[in-house]
Parts: sequence; structure tokens; C-alpha cells
Amino acid sequence: MSFPFDFRPFEIPAEFCTLRQEVRAFLRDAAREWTGWRIGQSWTGFNREFSKEVGRRGWIGMTWPRQYGGQERSEIERYVVLEEMLTVGAPVGAHWIADRQSGPLLLRLGTQAQRERFLPGCARGELAFCIGLSEPDSGSDLASLRSRALRVKNGWRLNGRKIWTTNAQNCDLMIGLFRSDPSAEKHKGLSQFLIDMHAPGIDVRPIRDLTGEAHFNEVTFDDVFVPGEMLVGVEGEGWAQATAELTFERSQPDRYMSAFPLFSALINTLRKESAADRLACRRIGETYAELVLLRQMSLSIAGRLAAGESPAQEAVLLKDLGNTHEQGIPDLARELLDVPSTIDRQDMLSELQAVLTEISPMFSLRGGTREILRGIIAKGLGLR
Amino acid sequence: MNDDMNVTRMLAESMERLLANEVSRDSLLKLEAGDLDIGLWRHLDDMGLITALVCEEAGGSGMSWSQVEVVLRVSGRHLLPLPLGESMIAAHALSESALQIPSGMMTIIDERLSLRPDGRLAGVGRSIPWAFQAEHGIAIAQRNGEDFICLFRMDEAIRMEQETLGRIPTAKIDLDGVRVLADSPASTVGKLGLLPRLTALRVAQIAGALSGVLEACTEYANLRIQFGKPIAKLQAIQQMIAELAAEAAAAQAASAFACQRLDARDAVHGAMVAKVRASRAAGRGARIAHQVFGAIGVTDEHMLHYFTRRLWQWRSEAGSEHWWAERLGKHILGATHLPLWESIADR
Repeated sequence: MSFPFDFRPFEIPAEFCTLRQEVRAFLRDAAREWTGWRIGQSWTGFNREFSKEVGRRGWIGMTWPRQYGGQERSEIERYVVLEEMLTVGAPVGAHWIADRQSGPLLLRLGTQAQRERFLPGCARGELAFCIGLSEPDSGSDLASLRSRALRVKNGWRLNGRKIWTTNAQNCDLMIGLFRSDPSAEKHKGLSQFLIDMHAPGIDVRPIRDLTGEAHFNEVTFDDVFVPGEMLVGVEGEGWAQATAELTFERSQPDRYMSAFPLFSALINTLRKESAADRLACRRIGETYAELVLLRQMSLSIAGRLAAGESPAQEAVLLKDLGNTHEQGIPDLARELLDVPSTIDRQDMLSELQAVLTEISPMFSLRGGTREILRGIIAKGLGLR
Repeated sequence: MNDDMNVTRMLAESMERLLANEVSRDSLLKLEAGDLDIGLWRHLDDMGLITALVCEEAGGSGMSWSQVEVVLRVSGRHLLPLPLGESMIAAHALSESALQIPSGMMTIIDERLSLRPDGRLAGVGRSIPWAFQAEHGIAIAQRNGEDFICLFRMDEAIRMEQETLGRIPTAKIDLDGVRVLADSPASTVGKLGLLPRLTALRVAQIAGALSGVLEACTEYANLRIQFGKPIAKLQAIQQMIAELAAEAAAAQAASAFACQRLDARDAVHGAMVAKVRASRAAGRGARIAHQVFGAIGVTDEHMLHYFTRRLWQWRSEAGSEHWWAERLGKHILGATHLPLWESIADR
């Protein structure tokens, strides 16, 4: 067939409606206290009390086996929960990484002991994970990373620096990628470790960003000891392990819904003020259509993943389109409402507009920059 | 993938093989001169494609819109110079109202006509492709506020040839006094009549043509040498083609969505969302493709313009992205009782 992609539709089974309504009802109550500034930060916002509440309801690690604190529910049910959380900009950062990446990684490759020790705490929203990948000299060219893991008696000694680690200052554990064999070629010789963020030798320096707050950090490792049993998976396979689940990560609603609360607030304002002329209707229609189809694409990928397929190209395409969509929402709000550059702390839309304007450059940087994604697409098409 | 989808896939694959062999620059030139490949039409008819959507009791294959979506997309991918999609939609619409399906090509008038008391039509079709080649046309016509689906002979209408970007023979037609050969109440079509189905067809054709353009750009970039290497090695070119791929992907998702909503009897919503996105993709995709091909791509002898001129044609037909976006936006903003997210997730 001459079609390089497959976006066959996937429909969420009607029986998951109840779950959706439950999550919605919970969030309606929880959201009362949230400001526009926090809502705009959504999945980077860290709120452990909220995560514990979510955990109590069984919505963290919900696909995991019961023996590890999971609910053995389907990936699609998890998808429903994610959607509802992102729609309202819930502060899910304290469990997001464990739920999305670290937990699944341990289930796939962790030892029995690692799973038993960490997963139940994650599912309760008590254990927060961060991911140590980028380094000061290794960003897009991640495989050039130089932080070292040296084999010592009973374990490893870590030295080096990680940077842009989201919420590291609040997390309990890191899954970090380190060079365990400097003589091996670039993509080999890397290993993943489970690192206790309170271990001696770890220094976390929050990096204040353009919002005036600190979301990511620089983490310095000075002879940090990691017990041998905290190696994740296979020594030297760290690169393949860390990149294996990218299809999953790149195709989820967080890749196109980061600005959804602002889009929603914009529509509510236009409705209230009956302020939409023909051109405004067109711009809203355009953006809405894009959003609906991004969701269709994301669902299609979710359905194929659940069926055991691996639609990697489709996921990269979705993330590229999704990031462009979410970055366009603050521009749309300016265009249609002439939102000023002053910030009114009493006003939901004003705060959302301000914080999303400031953090939206990140959307096409995190999880693979736009340029890297497009390079992957080009390679997948056979451009060489 | 279920069995039904496998049947579809096999059908689409055999159609692909056929069209890859049969459709050439030569046959497209002939089409633009008004000359259709009857042999190819018979072949498609023999494959049962024209009645694919018609239920089995009425002699069709009883396929769903989602099943035929890939067939429509393949027709766009190969710029099929025949009114296959239009005839499929017409055959299906006739059979829905228990009317006989005539043999031969059909086209669709997407504007609502009037059905006069004398059983003749009144009204115009502003821009109807295949008007000179299709033997029959169908339209929704109103009498006393009630909708009827009507079948008529195209040669009874006054057809005024129109120039179009796509150069598929097209006419403005005047249907005043045209006899209705058969009619039946069409209670299932909504306010927009047959338009949403035609829109879904154009979306599928756009998605198909964009895949063709993407394939052509990829191939050309790997072959064309400048600065001592294939231009595919240049990151600027890679980024452009990746953007084109994203547009093609979005159009493909739009096509699947339009057909899925047709199956769910939510056709207007599907058409709105899908055409807004696909028409946008058509314009962007055509622009990128011409940039990749450079000057050779705008020459008459090159194949590219057959794709891009049709993309420019189809993006405006059956409602442009702007026309549908305005409708969609007005609808969203007007549905004040319905929170935005519910309008998407609880559909």
C-alpha cells in the first residue's frame, strides 16, 4: 500500500463512560482551589497531596498488576483518566513520571525486588520519580552523555551532572542514564540506575526559569553510591531501554493538551460576550478541528499500542503536530480577545494566558525537539 | 485488525495495482480534454466498487463508510480520472431510498433543488464535476418542505462548461424542467443534504493525493543531486518533507474521521472537522511539494501539477476549509450549554 501511515480510528468503549464521570466529579471538587497560573502548568505542577488523593482512588498505575498496587485495568481506561486530568490542568506532576515512564519501565525490566519495593508507593502517589537524561553538554545529542557509572564493590559510583530534570527538587527517586562502559560505542555502554535522591553526594540546584519559578534542576553527582541491585534492566542496554517507550510517551494527550484550559477559557469568554464575528468563528472552528483530529490520531495510536503494534512514526508525527497546536493557543487568545500583557491575578484567563505564553516554548523542546522529531520523520520516510 | 478490514484492505490493494498501471499522464491529459477511460470504468464496476456501500439485499457489498474509506483514498492517491466516488455515493443514496440504481456514471448536485408539482426539477448546480460525462445525476429536491432524492438524466440539463483549477470537466448546470426519473422521500438526509458525503469524499481524495505528493517528494529528494549530494541530505529539505508528512498524516486522520462519523450518523460534524483540516493540509502540502521540486515541478510535462491542481480544486469543493470552519466555530460558540471538553469526549 502506498500509505506510509496508519491512522485507523479507535473508539473508546462506551463502558468506560462511568470511569470518565467519576474522574470528572472528583476533579470538579478538587479544582476549586486552583489558580489559572497553576492550571496552566498542569502536568509539570507538583502537588503531592493531590497525587495521594488520585492514588487513593486507584488512578495511578492503574494498569499495573494488583500485587504491585495496580488495578489491572486497561491502557484505554488509563487514557481516559489522563484526558480528564489534562482537560482541567490538574497538578499531576508528583505522579506523572512514575505513572507514565518509571513504573512501566520497572514492570518491563525491573527485578522482582525493585517492583515490590517501589511500585506500590508510586501507585499510592507517595513516591515521586524524575528522569535523569540531559546533561549540560548533551541535549538533543543525548547519546553523547558523559556522566559516569563506575563499578565498585557491591554497586556503582556515579559522577557527573544532569540538567533540565523536572521536579528533581521534590522527587524521591531518579531513573538516570549513565555511561557504564566508556570504551563501548556511543549508544552502547549506557546503563539505567534507580537512584535515591537523598543519597549522599547528590546536590540538587533548582534552576529559576522565565516564569520566576523553578521547575527544572541541575543535579550533581559526586561519588554517589548506588547498590548493585539498583541497576535497571541490563548493563549496557540503557539506550535501548530508555528509548523503547517513546512511542507511548510521544502519543499521549499531554503532547497536544497543554494549553487546553486556555482554549476552553477563551471559548467561554467568547460565548459570554457574544464577541465572535465571522473571522473569530473561523479561527475557533479551525483550532477545534485540529484538536479533535489530534485526539483521533492519539486514540488511534493508543488502540494500536493496546493491540501490540508499535506505531512509532505516527507517534512522532502526532507530537510534532500536537506541539504546534498547543503553542498556537495563546496566540489565538491574543488574536480574538486582545488579551493584554498585564497579569490580573484574580482573573483565570489572564493568568492562563500569561503562564502559557511563558512556558509554551518548552512544548516543542521537551520530549524531543521539533527539529529532532522532524529528522526522525524524514529518516522514517527513507530520506537519506 | 478484523476480517472486514482485511477484505477492505485486499480490495484497496487490488485497486492500487490496477490504478498504478492504468492511470498515467496520458490518461489525465485525455480526461482534461473530456475523454474518459471506459475500459477502466468497466473494470472498477466488475470489481463491485460502485455498489460497495449499497446493502446486500439491493445487490451491493454492504460495506460501511469506514470500510470504503481506503478505496476513496486510493482513488485520490492515483488521481483516478473517473467519477467513482460520486457514483458510489449516488448508488448508496438511491438504494437507501429503495430506488433502482442505473448503470453508468453518476454525479451529485450538492445544492438543494425544488421539485415542481409537474414532477420536474428547478434550480441550479453552481459547479458540478463530471457534468458532461455522467449519464445520471442525483440531487435532493424539496416539495412542500419535504426532501426527496431525485434521479435524472444529465443531458436534459443545460450545462455551461466551467474552467477549474483541477481541469476535471465541470459545468454550471441549470436543471429547470429536467424530468425526474425516480424519486423517493429522503428523510434521513439532514439540512445539508448530500453535501457531507461529498465532503467526506473530497477529504479522502485530498488525503490520497497528499500521500502521492509525499511519495514523489521523497523519491525526488533522494535522486536530485546538488552541492555534490542528494538534496535529501539537507536538513532544510528533510524538515520541509517532514512537515509535508505531518499534513498528509493529518489529512488521513481527517478522512478516517469523516467516514467514521458517517457510520455513526453524525455526518455533518465529521465533514466539518475533516474538511477544515484536510483542505488546510492540501494548501500547505502543495506549497511544500512545489518548493521541494523547484522549477521542474511547475512544468507542464511534470506530473506534480496534476496532484497540486487537484489539491487546490478539492480543497475548495464541497465546502472550503473557511466555509466549514465558520460553521463549526459558530456551532461550538453557540452551544453554550455544552462545555468544550464534553463536546469532544462525550460525542
